[in-house]
Amino acid sequence: MEEKYSSNVLSGGKLGMVEVPNSRLTRYIVLLVVTKVLKALGIFESYDILKVVHIVHFIFILKLGSAVILLFFQKPFSSGKVISKRQWIKLLKHAVFSCVISLLGFFGLTLCGPLRTLLLFEHSDVVVIALLGVLFTSSGGGPSKTRGAALFIIAVICLLLFDNDDLMAKMAEHPEGHHDSALTHFLYTAIAFLGVADHKGGVVLLVASLCLKVGFHTASRKLSVEIGGAKRLYALDNLVSAMVLLPWVIVLSATTESKVESWSSLILPFGMIIFSVMILEFYVEAVCSAKMETPRCARYGTIALFLSALLLANFWTHPLTDQLRSMSKPPQQVSTEHVLSGGVLVSAVFFIMSSSILSSPSKKGQKGTLVGYSPEGTPLYNFMGDALQHTSQSLPRFIKESLKQILEEYDSRQIFYFLCLNLAFTFVELFYGVWTNSLGLISDGFHMLFDCSALVLGLFAALMTRWKATRIFSYGYGRVEILSGFINGLFLMVIAFFVFMESVTRVLDPPNINTDMLTPVSVGGLLVNLVGICAFSHAHSHGGKSCSSHDHGHSHSEHSHGGHGHSHGGHGHSHGGHGHGHGGHGHGGHGHSHGSGGGGMNANMRGVFLHVLADTLGSVGVIISTILIRQFGWLIADPICSLFIATLIFLSVIPLLKDACEVLLLRSPPENEKDLNSALEKIEKIEGVLSYRDPHFWRHSANMIAGTIHLQIMSDVVEQRIVQQVTAILKDAGVNNLSVQVEKEAYFQHMSGLSTGFQEVLAMTQQMETIKYLKDGTCIM
Amino acid sequence: MFNLQGTIHPFRKTHRSIFGKLVQEFRLVSSDRRSWRILLFGALNLLCTGCLLMWCSSTNSMALTAYTYLTIFDLFSLITCLISSWVTMKKPSQVYSFGFERLEVLAVFASTVLVQLGALFILKESVERFMEQPEVHTGRLLVGTFVALFFNLLTLLSVRNKPFSYVSEGTVTPPHSLLTQTVCVLCLCGIIPGLSSVLLPRMNPFVLINMAGALSLCITYMLIEINNYNAVDTASAVAIALMTFGTMYPMSVYSGKVLLQTTPSHIIGQLDKLLREVSTLDGVLEVRNEHFWTVGFGSLAGSAHVRIRRDANEQLVLAHVTNRLLPLVSTLTVQIFKDDWTRPLLTGALSSSASIAPLGPAEGYAALSSSSLPPMLMSSGGELDPLTSTPAKPSSPPPEFAFDTPGRNVQPVVLPAPGHHAHRPYGGLGLPYGAPPYTGMMNQGLARPGGGLGLGPHFPNHICIFPCPLIGN
Repeated sequence: MEEKYSSNVLSGGKLGMVEVPNSRLTRYIVLLVVTKVLKALGIFESYDILKVVHIVHFIFILKLGSAVILLFFQKPFSSGKVISKRQWIKLLKHAVFSCVISLLGFFGLTLCGPLRTLLLFEHSDVVVIALLGVLFTSSGGGPSKTRGAALFIIAVICLLLFDNDDLMAKMAEHPEGHHDSALTHFLYTAIAFLGVADHKGGVVLLVASLCLKVGFHTASRKLSVEIGGAKRLYALDNLVSAMVLLPWVIVLSATTESKVESWSSLILPFGMIIFSVMILEFYVEAVCSAKMETPRCARYGTIALFLSALLLANFWTHPLTDQLRSMSKPPQQVSTEHVLSGGVLVSAVFFIMSSSILSSPSKKGQKGTLVGYSPEGTPLYNFMGDALQHTSQSLPRFIKESLKQILEEYDSRQIFYFLCLNLAFTFVELFYGVWTNSLGLISDGFHMLFDCSALVLGLFAALMTRWKATRIFSYGYGRVEILSGFINGLFLMVIAFFVFMESVTRVLDPPNINTDMLTPVSVGGLLVNLVGICAFSHAHSHGGKSCSSHDHGHSHSEHSHGGHGHSHGGHGHSHGGHGHGHGGHGHGGHGHSHGSGGGGMNANMRGVFLHVLADTLGSVGVIISTILIRQFGWLIADPICSLFIATLIFLSVIPLLKDACEVLLLRSPPENEKDLNSALEKIEKIEGVLSYRDPHFWRHSANMIAGTIHLQIMSDVVEQRIVQQVTAILKDAGVNNLSVQVEKEAYFQHMSGLSTGFQEVLAMTQQMETIKYLKDGTCIM
Repeated sequence: MFNLQGTIHPFRKTHRSIFGKLVQEFRLVSSDRRSWRILLFGALNLLCTGCLLMWCSSTNSMALTAYTYLTIFDLFSLITCLISSWVTMKKPSQVYSFGFERLEVLAVFASTVLVQLGALFILKESVERFMEQPEVHTGRLLVGTFVALFFNLLTLLSVRNKPFSYVSEGTVTPPHSLLTQTVCVLCLCGIIPGLSSVLLPRMNPFVLINMAGALSLCITYMLIEINNYNAVDTASAVAIALMTFGTMYPMSVYSGKVLLQTTPSHIIGQLDKLLREVSTLDGVLEVRNEHFWTVGFGSLAGSAHVRIRRDANEQLVLAHVTNRLLPLVSTLTVQIFKDDWTRPLLTGALSSSASIAPLGPAEGYAALSSSSLPPMLMSSGGELDPLTSTPAKPSSPPPEFAFDTPGRNVQPVVLPAPGHHAHRPYGGLGLPYGAPPYTGMMNQGLARPGGGLGLGPHFPNHICIFPCPLIGN
């Protein structure tokens, strides 16, 4: 028994609850999915019907229809125990509540449209209870549940804020216009009282009624036991609520005239809605939650429902479906349809994610401790306590830890602050763009986001640099910084290439540019980037403090400054010159600071700096070309400026790429070359050293120069002494990770003895000969 | 060989003119017949790319642009080819002491990363296009597709690209492109289970991505022509960009790891085995600071520090360690170090030179490591006959000095290394901690048992290692 259990756990590949294999449940899942799709269809249909039928009528018909069918199936009167008077009263209360909830729900449907209603209202109880548990109790379900709740809230906020629904705006124009009844009027005024816009009121209403619904379901559980089963309760409830609604319906039909032309044409849609929304879903849910666990059922159901809702929303207003529907009823004015906006898409994705997280079974109380091994050698676990807690790592804690790491060091801190600034700007731009539906802003925001990726790369590299050395990365991760600098350099090359291509095509055919929105955005971007340049150039000069004597870099920067002044017309040019000078300057400083053995060389920071510089150039270019186009109407100014910018970016990247390449190609560090040469000379002069071979010295990372060298010494010298001396000498030359192989003649003899192959023996004897030869050479010297 | 003259020379050269040097290198490369072919294809490719870029702007199609980047990647791979043929001609210089093999790796890395950045750019543009889809003119779309496909396949199939084929198939655990794997998974699900194992190593990921890209372009063309459904163009651009990522990412990770000087993970098992063997050699106490990494594609370089017993023969251990590792690691540096080597060895060491002879042989040494023979003291002054390294019987009697005079009785003695007293910063006599300038190098942190074993120097690390039976002697 125990063995079976353990093997089951292992075959699942996870240490969770043992789930029933999918194959047995497939048909239930398929059934569930089909039901959910039908339900989505029904909701869409009912949205259309609600345009013509009054909401109270609609609900009355639904309740009555389903009550009739359910009475037929369940036979609540003929079977089961007799219902007492008190229970009838409870049933009445229950029915009133359910009426209110359905009213709210369908009213929300009229306000928000079917897709949004489905997204907001059709969450299973498990999800909502988990959500409320996270929100209102301290002991939620661990970090994963918190994540789910956060996603849920984000999704609702998305619907509230970023959902530009044309129809909703239209309705908001005259909210009092076409109210049919006192009830809707009351609700409208209530929403207006809340101070939110109309469609947003619908969202709020739906969320509130969702909570009500869940509370109602929970409360009705007791009653259902009393009555004798949920199905019987449901049947009776439908009947009673139909009776409750009856007087209202009569009053309504007496006082107002109906908009419906022919009730007969509505029979089919009503039948379909009653079947799919009221009956089928109820039964299938009941069956599925009996066969599967409720969370699982909820998960599949929600995903199916949301996806089908999305699909339907896309195709409902499609001409093809219109043709289909026009067979059953006259084509309606479709101008007032709810559209599928980006905000809805995003929030649907978030809803799906959050509901699958929230409905996943809580991992609490499934801690596994290894008890031993089964005869087959598979480990056996004892599940108790909450050991699996650590599997879902807390996101806040992770963020906190990495933030701490980032802020520890100067470089990563700089990058991080600048990244935050940049991202903030980007998101403000994006949000504003979505808010005002301005495409230009949104695309510029995406552009900024694209640029941010270089910063993220730099930040990540700066973080990785501090990781401990591992088996694979035996020298440590310092070299990541150089690689990231290299990649950033390549990135800039690509950007320069694209700008170049773009401007070439524009020179040939200058397009008309709409400059309205560009100026504030580019000024903002320029300010942000200038902050970045200040921050990073400070780091730069800090790195290369000994560079003041470096004439080349300085003259270079002077030169480009001149270029700047000269071509004020050539927009980005000015700043390009400036930046270029900076680049050259930093570069010059680089070499020198290296010579002093400092940790100045940081390709990563250089890459990031150049990137920020290129961004600055871009925004300056935009500003200048905007001015030129506005003032003088020179459309050609824009591409020419871009050409200049591209060239400048390209030129400023070359030194960075060259340096990074040299390091990556294991070149012996140029700034230590002199020291190394003199060190090698010194080594040759150590007493007892005959010669050396294979001297390899290379810069591994900013603060590590590694080296290996083979020494041949006389047979009567103590090796360790030589090793110490050589190490000390090379350490003075800057090599701080050294391996010295000290060989005597005996070594070659041993080697030739050990190597069995002829070739190796040959090679060894040759080496021995060279050693002898060298010995002679040194003797001569 | 590594003198000042040599350093100045190349510097002058670079200052003279970079361009001239480039031309010179180019001549060197073009002297080979095979590289003519590469150059020819490169020129063709350049022409084709130019055409395609023009068509891209005239059709306004994102998907065709994404496909054109694959052509540009082919250009890069041709350049890589040229570089690799140049690399084979170049000898290591003193500045680039490892040779130029790494340039190949760098070229592969750079070209894969460039293409991925291009794909990133495509993704960004596509996101912008999703919001406002411009119209796509299909006039040149299909023509461009087929021209690009034709040239790509021609280049791929007719020029053998050594570095890329190494990366994509040659390694022990090839970084299969995600695309290839996906296709194989599809095969696995769909047709024959055995097919994937046959296909996986054979399929060229570049051919695959070219075919897939052309296919998606054709679909785009059809949909735009029939339904005027312009958004398909953007979608297929995204698809091509993602496929590019899937193909290039494993390669750039692989070559990037080489550039980062990491130990290749498929070698680690082998290396571990060798290092374990090394650490069981007689006299070896531990191996540390081991760094192994690949220079170019394939050739391994490495260094390690081996700590040995105070009385072990450095040269012998070095030879054995090198012998073990050399087949795998072609550029090897082994640093042998001892603790407390400044303190004197046993007195018997002086007399041991005579007894060294039988211990040299390989077999003998190997046998020693497991046998109960005492650890040999090989004085550094010992003269070795070349013959001793040839295999001989390890049957000679254990040397006399072994443990007749146990360590605890030994008083500090003069080191058996004559002739260097004048240069030593520390007295040759038994001053255990007498090497202040260099102590940082030595591992002083080793536990030294107190005075428990008597006066004078003890042998902290090997007392317990000495084979017991001999102590009884």
